[in-house]
Amino acid sequence: MRQETAGSVPSVRHGVGRITLEVRQRLPAWKHGLYLATSLGVGLLISVLVLWASGVGPKGIYEEFVLYTFFNAKGLSNVLVECTPLILVGLSAALAFRVQFWNIGLEGQLILGGMGAAFVALNDYGPPEIRLWLMLAGALAGGALWTLVPLVLKLKLNVNEIISTLLLNYVAFQLLQDRIYGAWQAADRFPHSAQFDAGIERLSRIGFGDVGTGIYVALAAAVVVWWLIDRSRFGMFMTFVGSNARMSKAVGLPVTAVVAGTVLLSGALSGLAGFVVVAGQEYRLTAGFAGGYLFSGIVIAFLARNNPVAAVVVAFLLGGLYVGGQSIQVFYNLPAGVIDLLQAIVVMCVTASELFVRYRIIWRRQ
Amino acid sequence: MTLEFLVNWLASMPVAAAPLLLAALGLIISERAGVLNLSAEGLMLAGALAAAAFYQELGSNPWLGMLGAFLAGAALSVLFAVLVVVMRANQVVSGLAIVFFAIGLTSLLGTLGGWTDTALAGFSKLHVPVLSDIPVVGPVLFRQDPWVYLTVVLLVAVTWVLFRTNLGLKLRSVGHNPHAVDSMGIDVLGIRFAAVVVGGGIVGLAGGYLVLASAKIWVDEMTNGRGWIAIALVIFAGWHPWRALLGALIFGGIEALIPRVLASGAVLPQYYVLMTPYIATLVVLVWAAVNKRDLGAPRALGMPFVREDRR
Amino acid sequence: MGTALSLRDISKSFDGRPALADVSLDIEWGKVHALLGENGAGKSTLMNIAAGLYAQDEGRVFFGDTELTDNDPRHAKSLGIGMVHQHFKLVFPFTVAENVLLANPKGGYGRGLAETKRQIVEQSGKLGFALDPDAPVDSLSVAEQQRAEIIKVLLGGARLIILDEPTAVLTDEEAQALLSTMRVLAGQGNAVILVTHKLHEVPAYTDVVTVMRGGRKIETIASKEATPADLTKMMVGSALAEIKHRPATEHGVVLEVQDATLGRADGAGALNGLSMQVRGGEIYGVAGVGGNGQTELAAALIGLKSLESGTILMEGDNVTAADTRTLRRRGVAFVPAERMAYGLAEDMSVASNYAIAGVDRGEFGGPLWTRQGRIAATTQTAISQFEIAGAAPTTRAGLLSGGNAQKLVLARELREDARLLVVHSPTRGLDVRACAAVHRILMEARDRGAAIVLISEDLDEIFKISDRIGVINRGRIVGEFDAPADRHEVGALMVGHA
Repeated sequence: MRQETAGSVPSVRHGVGRITLEVRQRLPAWKHGLYLATSLGVGLLISVLVLWASGVGPKGIYEEFVLYTFFNAKGLSNVLVECTPLILVGLSAALAFRVQFWNIGLEGQLILGGMGAAFVALNDYGPPEIRLWLMLAGALAGGALWTLVPLVLKLKLNVNEIISTLLLNYVAFQLLQDRIYGAWQAADRFPHSAQFDAGIERLSRIGFGDVGTGIYVALAAAVVVWWLIDRSRFGMFMTFVGSNARMSKAVGLPVTAVVAGTVLLSGALSGLAGFVVVAGQEYRLTAGFAGGYLFSGIVIAFLARNNPVAAVVVAFLLGGLYVGGQSIQVFYNLPAGVIDLLQAIVVMCVTASELFVRYRIIWRRQ
Repeated sequence: MTLEFLVNWLASMPVAAAPLLLAALGLIISERAGVLNLSAEGLMLAGALAAAAFYQELGSNPWLGMLGAFLAGAALSVLFAVLVVVMRANQVVSGLAIVFFAIGLTSLLGTLGGWTDTALAGFSKLHVPVLSDIPVVGPVLFRQDPWVYLTVVLLVAVTWVLFRTNLGLKLRSVGHNPHAVDSMGIDVLGIRFAAVVVGGGIVGLAGGYLVLASAKIWVDEMTNGRGWIAIALVIFAGWHPWRALLGALIFGGIEALIPRVLASGAVLPQYYVLMTPYIATLVVLVWAAVNKRDLGAPRALGMPFVREDRR
Repeated sequence: MGTALSLRDISKSFDGRPALADVSLDIEWGKVHALLGENGAGKSTLMNIAAGLYAQDEGRVFFGDTELTDNDPRHAKSLGIGMVHQHFKLVFPFTVAENVLLANPKGGYGRGLAETKRQIVEQSGKLGFALDPDAPVDSLSVAEQQRAEIIKVLLGGARLIILDEPTAVLTDEEAQALLSTMRVLAGQGNAVILVTHKLHEVPAYTDVVTVMRGGRKIETIASKEATPADLTKMMVGSALAEIKHRPATEHGVVLEVQDATLGRADGAGALNGLSMQVRGGEIYGVAGVGGNGQTELAAALIGLKSLESGTILMEGDNVTAADTRTLRRRGVAFVPAERMAYGLAEDMSVASNYAIAGVDRGEFGGPLWTRQGRIAATTQTAISQFEIAGAAPTTRAGLLSGGNAQKLVLARELREDARLLVVHSPTRGLDVRACAAVHRILMEARDRGAAIVLISEDLDEIFKISDRIGVINRGRIVGEFDAPADRHEVGALMVGHA
């Protein structure tokens, strides 16, 4: 989320004085942390006020979003269920953003991932013992495939990836509808695919509520991404390319290959998120199984500063918000959109705080 | 294909096209000033709910409903403009945040205010004596709601302001080269702020139109992706209002066509047809890139303005 | 005629580094006044102060009888000071007329535009060239864009016209046309300031010339009394640098460039049939005024740009088409002029910046595991060896001062087995101590047998450490000298009109 700026910036003149922005050269880590914490705090405070105004008092908020969510076995297991795909889309976004590729197509890639897994499952490809692995491979391939067009357009023709990935989300969505209202529609004529075979094509439960082995997949992916970014040679290249592509070229790094590899991997991770949803939660393709993951993925990467370990933490907390949100839907009769609202409030506060991180603001009276 | 089918389809096209065109016009104003605006879906939702609320609370006056739609779109855009123009926040993240802010807020307020799922009378179709009764032409051109015509008026007005006034010249130059404009002493931030807010109000009108002229009801997330189509439409149209009209008729025509074809019992790969706006936009982007054609994108689109000097 | 602009004892520094010291200057109506000096002499800074873009730290600015206090661009413009910048302030997709109207709005748009078009045609007629007011600026040549800028400034009411290095981007014919235009403007009673580093433009086209060097005014004399020899001397100075001549070495030829061309023929910033040979164990100084192809030469040698024609041989092998990665593997190293843009990733640590090339070569573990501990230890050694002050391995590279950042780049690039070192303006913006350190490091590399191409706009530097000097002018090497060379001969070739 970096925007390049330089110089000092006289910006707004008022009758009362003159506000000048000056690019910060150094900001101590503790101050950076303080700004982040303050903005998060302000965001959460506003969120609490919004909930309060909607009829959920402080006690209710504490119970629904803390007590029955994180300090209760049922709640905690639900949080883990919710955060499984969130970890994966968060990692996906973080990877792409690291090389300054604005992958806004997480949702399309997630859909294609789910469809890749369903394609294997519904056609019963391969022996049952390895069916799940084939589904996983199908999901990785589907997600990666969906980044291919924006990637090539960006690298070869310099077409803006924000637009191309965004457009492909809707193409993917219609493709999914075409399948579940068409060739893959279940015999019950509802808009979903036939169910995946139990015991063969479903991720099993790990014995803690509804939590499935998908959580292992997500955590394993997090470890792999951490290793890739923090420990591997490719990861160091990736960070350099994202930080200064011109310099990376001048020191002889394979810039194009690094961007391509990272973006394909980002797509594959979103595809994997589709896999854990269809094979671990829905057990079939449904019309809206991808809903909301685009924004959440970006929120996670943004709040986690593209750091894979932090992404897992943020995804976990966001999972808590999802679970708490679901119970206030039931007990307070509030709509599902409240979760979106709260996420958006927090993100806005944090993006706004970046001004203070990037610039020193000087106000002089005239 | 019978004549009746054709007339029926053509007559329903303006209703589908008008909200897309309104939203696209609003986005064009904002993006011509250099602010990448992904918030359209959210602004439309805000406009839609406000239209329903104003209508239901203020004596069922659809004009007050549209006023509410404009105000809601503009108000939400003030928030967006504070983030991206004043705070120089990332325009992609902020735009998406506005969308989800609006999804949540409208759904919450709609429930709390009790404006959801209530059928409204809204605007009725005009009936012009003689003209409306002309076969074929009558129903297509002269039996529409007032906002179809007002949208065309707005189209002309926006085009005129953008391309035939000093204000428009300034606005467009701010989108292309804010640094050059700044060196002439023109207030870059002020123009961008105003463009985002006014444009946002017009996108809000698009939401109001859906509630008061098209669906005649407010339900959660009723914009149903039209905001995103409008974003595609703006690119498809090369940020030009008249080409946006053409695009809106094509995209709106597709939207209006599908249920009619299906009702006639014909087989149609409807989901592939529904993809066409996005695919067409992608094709236009690729075509422009391959042929090195300038699509008309503002050159500083998406870049926050920060003055660089060394005073 | 009277004085148009009067600058009194102007001083200005950026981040504590002085750019102008006590400069006084008088510009008269009806004359073309040349402001001559090498890059970095302070000419542009001085003019930006006059035009209100920068505020001086000390000194006073008078225009006619009024003193400009708290000057800004709008105020300067309203008084009649107009500046044509090196980087044009044009909105590119717009037409000429729209650009002029934007800068000088009048009345309603339609009438204003029509009136503006009429004025453009009229004004360009007066100046003796044609300019289509309806042409999009995009479609114009650089020279035509410049004319549009001049018209824009004139129609804004400017009577003092400052042209900042206007001929740097023009071909010969275009430059001559522009200089004639300037004479016309002065003939109409305006005051014109021509900021330039091109000596040959002075006698024929200007009335008065002021030479600047190192942020100070050297002298103001009538152009017709100025001999090229005098002007060269004033521009490049006569300080005798300590010359360390090095006897010819037995090393073979490492780099050979034959007839390299790149970029616009005859234009600025292009290679135009450049040939040169550099042996191992020598520092080959490329002397020249900025914008004569230095950046392109560096980019071509390191593989960031490919030649349009010509050949580059490295130790006898043709590497013309090789990319940066391949060249680096052959032992080419690069110290770029813009060290924060091409030399360092400022958001990353000193250790990462130091180690990245080595990581690529597998010196810090295989592809699967990078040995951070070894990176930190090696970086620490480099920090002490190269005396990079204020740096720990974990320090963000962007926080290093200019000199220390440069030492970090050198530390990375100067491996034992480097065969060819392409070094561009290595001491730009550094203090004396840091300069000396950088020079010492380069000479040590030379003594190890590396071939070094030192591209620099700082003549002192070239003279100080080069074993051989090639003068670059308009994209080719126009003369070569063995050290010790005669400073004035080199200077004359640099600023001469080859």
